[in-house]
Amino acid sequence: MADLRLTGVKKDYGGHSVIKGVDLEIRDGEFVVFVGPSGCGKSTLLRMIAGLEEISDGTLDIGGKRANDLSPRDRGIAMVFQSYALYPHLTVAENMGFGLSLRKTPRAEATARVARAAEILQITHLLDRKPSQLSGGQRQRVAIGRAIVREPSVFLFDEPLSNLDAALRMDMRMEIARLHRDLGATMIYVTHDQVEAMTLADRIVVLNGGIVQQVGRPIDLFRDPCNAFVAGFIGSPRMNFLPVTVDSLSGGMAQVSAAGVGPVAVAAGRITMPGPAILSIRPQALKPDQAADRSPLHGHVVLLERMGTETVVNLRLHSGQSVLAVVPGDLELQPGQDITFSFAPADVRLFPASDLPDQPGTPH
Amino acid sequence: MRAESLLVPIGKTLAVAAILVWSLFPIVFIVASSVKPGQDIFAVPPQWVFEPTLQHYATLWAQWGVFFRGLWNSLLITIGATVLAVVASTCAGYAFSRHAARWLDLSVVALIAVRLIPPIVVTLPLFPIVNRLGLADTHLVLIVLYATFFVSLGTVLMRTFIDQIPRDLDEAAAIDGASRLTILWRVIVPLAAPGILAVAVFVIVFAWNEFLFAFIFTGTNAKTAPLVISEMIGSIDGVDWGVLFAASTVQLAPVLAFVILMNRYLVAGLTAGATKG
Repeated sequence: MADLRLTGVKKDYGGHSVIKGVDLEIRDGEFVVFVGPSGCGKSTLLRMIAGLEEISDGTLDIGGKRANDLSPRDRGIAMVFQSYALYPHLTVAENMGFGLSLRKTPRAEATARVARAAEILQITHLLDRKPSQLSGGQRQRVAIGRAIVREPSVFLFDEPLSNLDAALRMDMRMEIARLHRDLGATMIYVTHDQVEAMTLADRIVVLNGGIVQQVGRPIDLFRDPCNAFVAGFIGSPRMNFLPVTVDSLSGGMAQVSAAGVGPVAVAAGRITMPGPAILSIRPQALKPDQAADRSPLHGHVVLLERMGTETVVNLRLHSGQSVLAVVPGDLELQPGQDITFSFAPADVRLFPASDLPDQPGTPH
Repeated sequence: MRAESLLVPIGKTLAVAAILVWSLFPIVFIVASSVKPGQDIFAVPPQWVFEPTLQHYATLWAQWGVFFRGLWNSLLITIGATVLAVVASTCAGYAFSRHAARWLDLSVVALIAVRLIPPIVVTLPLFPIVNRLGLADTHLVLIVLYATFFVSLGTVLMRTFIDQIPRDLDEAAAIDGASRLTILWRVIVPLAAPGILAVAVFVIVFAWNEFLFAFIFTGTNAKTAPLVISEMIGSIDGVDWGVLFAASTVQLAPVLAFVILMNRYLVAGLTAGATKG
């Protein structure tokens, strides 16, 4: 078991900066998920921790020891790859015991450790097979087994579930959560799937453009994102962003309005000056009703995605803006129908317009 | 329609037959001639039916002991050159595959360019050097020359093969605690085995049959079998064609058997990278 500390960690590829200074502490036994869109640097950061990529600047401490210049094998880590990276010419048992045989672990002990890991992952019956004789899910179990056998202080997962189908992905997600609970090991997990991040993490690290956007518990990121990027990345369906104008500010509250919105008073957040801003509203925060203490949005239904227990309504506001709302599955709605949704001012967040330069309709 | 459907298989059969005759004729001619009585070998019209005899083999054994020493030399040189070329090609192929760099790509082009030069151009300037080093008429000089000659193609072939092995495996092994050499030995070599075999087949066939380098750099000690066969033609007693064909058959047999056995891997080796997966 070990804690990790990254201080000012940077990665440059020939003058091109990929990781632009990451400071992060990961506590012993914690499950931390790096999440972000592709190309955000999350896998690079993981590979730097693994020792597969050099650290251009800054320090990495594992278990209180500087690890920058340690080779991967001396870092006390194990890694599960997206491609599983099983050795095709070795059996499952040999794959899992490969690291032990390299470390000259006594045969009896190695066999026992492989057997124990196989039992945890319920793959004992597969030990004599070659990877080519296994399904995707079984291969992933073997890859995880290979990591467990090493008894590392830190487990690294690089998008381990992205090659599996949806149902299997959910099973393995629960399996990994169970494993973390049982082993109590420090785990760092990279994914672009915010559902995996939300369900697995003790803490989520949201990355974009090589910069940590926010670190926190999943629920804190969901409820109180620090910027529009995090707000848009965490949560499903995606956050709605409405361009608005801040008319006045007083006592931490901002008076905002836009075509078809408000005027309504919301928490000012990082806004300090009147002018253009972005109002973010979770699809779940929009209710198909009107109440005196709620602010209305008028529009018509464009598309309905019925999931069963709930329906995702694709709404076009009178201002022309598209908005998503989640309503109970039993609500009768028709495409084309005029409808008024409303939100409680406490459920929305206000962000500077500069947070989302690409947002259509946002003043530049 | 009916005639057409008959024509196609007939045409195919004829084509296959032509290719078979084309490729098998020399082998059949050599082997058959080695067991024909001397007067039947070049008889016109050719003698298809004859009394097989092992007389030529007996003469070969009795009078041409030097041929069997030549075979032994060929064997030593072939094994040495193969091991050297395979080890060098595998190591170099691994380096080329895993370390992308422009100068490395350039050196691949250079490796291939060397192959385009006629061997004699390379050979003659080597002569004084080999003499100066005292390596003339040794096994070592041919081992090194043959291996060197094949390292270029071998490296390109091994690189193509190793390119097919996902880098993730190297990284997984590194995390598992393997050094570079261990990765090469325990992960890359087993997975690139078909490529290694393909390179080995090329070197073996080349080294076993090579004449020019052997002719120039060896005299008596390291003389290879093809040289001895050539001497049979220039023999002062006149050419005993039966013995010559017997020697050729003996020279041909092991390498032919080897290539037939390894054919599967050879084809796999040459088409590596042609398709994905």
